[in-house]
Amino acid sequence: MPTIECSKKDFELLVGKKFSKEELEDVLLGVKGELDGINEDELKIDIKETNRPDLWSVEGIAREIKAFIGKEKGIPEYKVLKGKRKAKIDSNLKDIRPKAAYAEIRGIEITEEILLQIIQLQEKICQSFGKKREQVAIGVFDLDKVKGNVKYFAAEPSMEFIPLGFSESMSLREILIKHPKGKEYGKLIEGFEKFPLLADENNEVLSMPPIINSDTSGKVTEQTKNLFVDVTGFNQKLVDTALKIMCMALADRKGKIYSVELDYEKKKLISPEFKKEKIVFNLSEVNELLGTNFSGKEILKLLEKKRLKGKIKGKKITVEFGNYRKDIIHPWDVIEDIAIAFDYNKFEPEKLDVFTLGSVEEKSTQLKEVRELCIGFGLQEIASNHLTSKETQMKKMNLKEEFVEIANPVSSNWEIFRKKLLPESLDFLSKNKNKSYPQKIFEVGRTIELNSEKETGVEEKWKLCVSITHSKTNFNEVKSILEAIARELKMKVKLKEAKTSFLAEGKSALIEFSDGKKGFVGEINQKVMQEFGLETNVSVIEIEI
Amino acid sequence: MDKKHIHSPRLDTIAMVENTIKKSKEKLSKTELWKKLPKQMMYQTFSTAIDYLVELKKIRLTAEGKIELILEKGKAKVWEKETQEGIQEKKSKIEIKKNEIKEGKKEMKINAVGLDDSAKKIVSELSEIERKTLKVLAEEKKELSVQELSEKTGIELDSARRAIQWLNEKELGKARIEKQVFVSLGIEGLKAVKDGLPEKNFLKELNENWKSLSEIKSISKQEINIALGNAKKKDLIELKKEKELTVKITEKGKEFLEKKTEEELILEKIGEKELEEKNLNEKEKQVLKFLGFRKGFLKHKEKGNEFISITEKGFSANESIKETRSSENLLNAKIIRNYNIQDPVEEVYPGKKQPYYKFVDEIKQKLVSLGFKEMENPLIVQEFYNFDVLFQPQNHPARTWTDTYKLKKPTHGKLPEKKIVETIKNAHENGGKAESMGWNYEWSEKIAEQLMPSAHGTAHSARQLVKGIEVPGKYFTLARCFRPDVVDATHLIEFNQMEGFVVGKDFTLRKLLGLLKEFAVEIAGAEKVKFLPDYYPFTEPSVQLNALHPELGWVEFGGAGIFRAEITENLGIKEKCLAWGLGMDRLAMFKLKLNDIRELFSQNLDWLRKGI
Repeated sequence: MPTIECSKKDFELLVGKKFSKEELEDVLLGVKGELDGINEDELKIDIKETNRPDLWSVEGIAREIKAFIGKEKGIPEYKVLKGKRKAKIDSNLKDIRPKAAYAEIRGIEITEEILLQIIQLQEKICQSFGKKREQVAIGVFDLDKVKGNVKYFAAEPSMEFIPLGFSESMSLREILIKHPKGKEYGKLIEGFEKFPLLADENNEVLSMPPIINSDTSGKVTEQTKNLFVDVTGFNQKLVDTALKIMCMALADRKGKIYSVELDYEKKKLISPEFKKEKIVFNLSEVNELLGTNFSGKEILKLLEKKRLKGKIKGKKITVEFGNYRKDIIHPWDVIEDIAIAFDYNKFEPEKLDVFTLGSVEEKSTQLKEVRELCIGFGLQEIASNHLTSKETQMKKMNLKEEFVEIANPVSSNWEIFRKKLLPESLDFLSKNKNKSYPQKIFEVGRTIELNSEKETGVEEKWKLCVSITHSKTNFNEVKSILEAIARELKMKVKLKEAKTSFLAEGKSALIEFSDGKKGFVGEINQKVMQEFGLETNVSVIEIEI
Repeated sequence: MDKKHIHSPRLDTIAMVENTIKKSKEKLSKTELWKKLPKQMMYQTFSTAIDYLVELKKIRLTAEGKIELILEKGKAKVWEKETQEGIQEKKSKIEIKKNEIKEGKKEMKINAVGLDDSAKKIVSELSEIERKTLKVLAEEKKELSVQELSEKTGIELDSARRAIQWLNEKELGKARIEKQVFVSLGIEGLKAVKDGLPEKNFLKELNENWKSLSEIKSISKQEINIALGNAKKKDLIELKKEKELTVKITEKGKEFLEKKTEEELILEKIGEKELEEKNLNEKEKQVLKFLGFRKGFLKHKEKGNEFISITEKGFSANESIKETRSSENLLNAKIIRNYNIQDPVEEVYPGKKQPYYKFVDEIKQKLVSLGFKEMENPLIVQEFYNFDVLFQPQNHPARTWTDTYKLKKPTHGKLPEKKIVETIKNAHENGGKAESMGWNYEWSEKIAEQLMPSAHGTAHSARQLVKGIEVPGKYFTLARCFRPDVVDATHLIEFNQMEGFVVGKDFTLRKLLGLLKEFAVEIAGAEKVKFLPDYYPFTEPSVQLNALHPELGWVEFGGAGIFRAEITENLGIKEKCLAWGLGMDRLAMFKLKLNDIRELFSQNLDWLRKGI
């Protein structure tokens, strides 16, 4: 969910209306926006719409709200003037980063605020819509420093230029190793023999997409008058959409858009291209989905508030929209806009009068029974996390095992799924050593083990773990509880002597139930007690249920 | 009851006296014997025991006042027999005569022997910790500190403290609080240990030449007169009055500098470890007293410690308890002691549900009563269910709508039957049977097979949609969800979502709003609701549910929407599915009055037991 920071004055200037805080909150609903913070002139707006990068800038929000409050209506119009510049795109980029789109923006008066907004929009699109520059990377350049036609090509790693923020030239290979952006984004082009490069007619490098711009033309300041926008990626549609969104924002700032001819060797494209797209569906679908009684006329009016244009012909409605909106792929996408334009809170909620029989899962009933039994024994229920550490599950337990493991853990405290409940219960006890004794706790929870025969390669098992600690607790105390549980669940229990790495020898046993479920019972051995820093005797049961 | 009774010995006391006489190699006087007894007893009781033994012709007193054993063959056995009879006789006398038998049960009250009525009452009301304490005190025969008592009885320090207090009140023990005064260094004292005593530093500054006092820097004006006076008295310096007072060091003064003074020695000692004043010798005490006059040199701290010794009454009480115990065994009857109903008792805790799970159970119950059926909710799912079935395109921003975990081991799972996989593939590539354009890309099975901890409860709704549903139907699950996040007061990497959907003929957005309103009122106890446009990759339209909570104002309570037609229509579901998810954790937080989400899984046993 992108958060847009902007100046309230700037926003009001773009919309052409002043807002109180409450009014602002109301109109922001029109863009699925929520006011996250307001501090004098500073606004922080959360835009929940993850599929509409056109709304991720103050210009975009203002554009949409202008229609929402009736200052404008229908599809926003953007004029593209014919430019002279051509961009040659090298087919050798096929596997590396094949698609690009360019535009020129002329006559824009760049203020500090506008500069900040350009950078913010560029960042939001690259990070979120562009999946951290993988799908979309954007560069903005000082057009007056770009000479003649440009070429986007696969370059030798030994080629050199001065990257933004540096004073000496570096080879492309060096940039990947040394430049902070090279380190951050280098993985996107790593492993290729050649790297993408954008240069002008004089072979002056503009940028090494998707890594870094040059320090010459890549520097945009408040003195810059004309801009050159470059977008690269893998999918022409995504790249085009990103370019259009940048152009719209800059045109909203009174810049004029000039086209660039894209020369893909086999075909030529004009970039950017603002067109209208349409979707046709049965008019009745609107009221069927919303549960409303809107007339055709009302629907058309609501569409205009959301920068859409409808035409009704018989039972069908055709809705037109700007081709920067890639989120409309089904009639319901349009119908949601109608509902937003109407205002969700004006709908009268209707009672759902359908009778069905409720039930819990079979397992739930059994789990409930076991938990109630434990409570009957005077045990306190605890809750621990499913994600835990190797330290707790393995090292402290004196074990060597394989676990279901997370590939991208945030911390080593949560890197594997628990295989036993016991280590988590011992951890719990170790944190309550100064509380009054006896301490009797239990947990009913799930554990996960590797099991390649299962659909997900893992087996999830429900288990019960009982832990009792006081100076006189022993094997017999927990064995009594175990037998009572078995009796209540109408199962037979068999005990076998066994050696484990965590239970005291001669004071513990392995459990087998008549239905094949397994477990263990006994006193914790000295080594494990020490590992967990426990001083008072602990006896435990852990069984599958 | 006359006083005599208090001193009547019990049978085992008499046996103890006799045994001591037997074991003794020489003839003892009465007093000598009394001192030799393995257990201390009152002299009067002892005297009575001796009289008894004389009467029984077991012993006699010689002319010198020594006690002599009368030993005849066969006599000892007779004595034993008599003793047994004696016990039996006594038992029946004490117990049956004096106590009532309640409702035919074998329960009876037993009174202490040799104690007056009020004392008997006290004894019968003694708690277990008091009994234990008495026993230990009687055995040890000396004053014990509370720590020693706790160690010897095995009862907790707190209980030991209580026992001391109670026994003192009942005059069975004598409690004493000893104030211990500890001495440690003050700021000046610390300085002196580090940099030397001012008077010494003052001497160090001097030499054989006369030096005026104004040149002396190491000592403050306040201290200089004392220092001069002292040094002069000890002949460490010479003074001369010219324009102003001048001073020089003597030979004795130089010697003095060589040695450590008593003050220095004791300051160093205290510097190492604070000392208890009473453990110091007289000399040290004297030095310390003078140091105490000097500002900031010493700090005194008082600590109180409790001690207890047994009183005579306590001994008798203990004896009578012992007897009660042996008669318990003999009669095999259950003893009830009388209780002082005002006495504090041990705190116990019931077995209880974990508070958060209890809350979740209640909500589950409510949903079942509203006609919802529980769905399965595995922890590990294929991306297929978490994303693909829900029409979240691979390699597209909608897929990374939230951050998710991936698995390192295992990495891939199995997909369901081919027909379903084909259906989902088509939905993504071209919209499939739905009136949709789809996402226009090549859908990959390999990506869909990837495993992950489920990131949202909707993954389980997706699974249910694939498995098949009843129409009309209402489904729910309490899902454990996982997202990589920095854990803080409002974020957990593991959290719970109550998630589900309803499906039926002619379901609409208005009906979804109706359902949400019902949830807000029934589950959150909300007064009013507000609906905000929202975004979920798998619903259209999408709604955020805000509820007006009586205490907290407007809070976000859940998210909902109508499952996209690309999902339902492709799976052959013609009716609309209204999907919803409620943020359980936040709701639980305000129900349990917590400010930190981490406390839902609190590891604080006291909070679980008592809510504090």
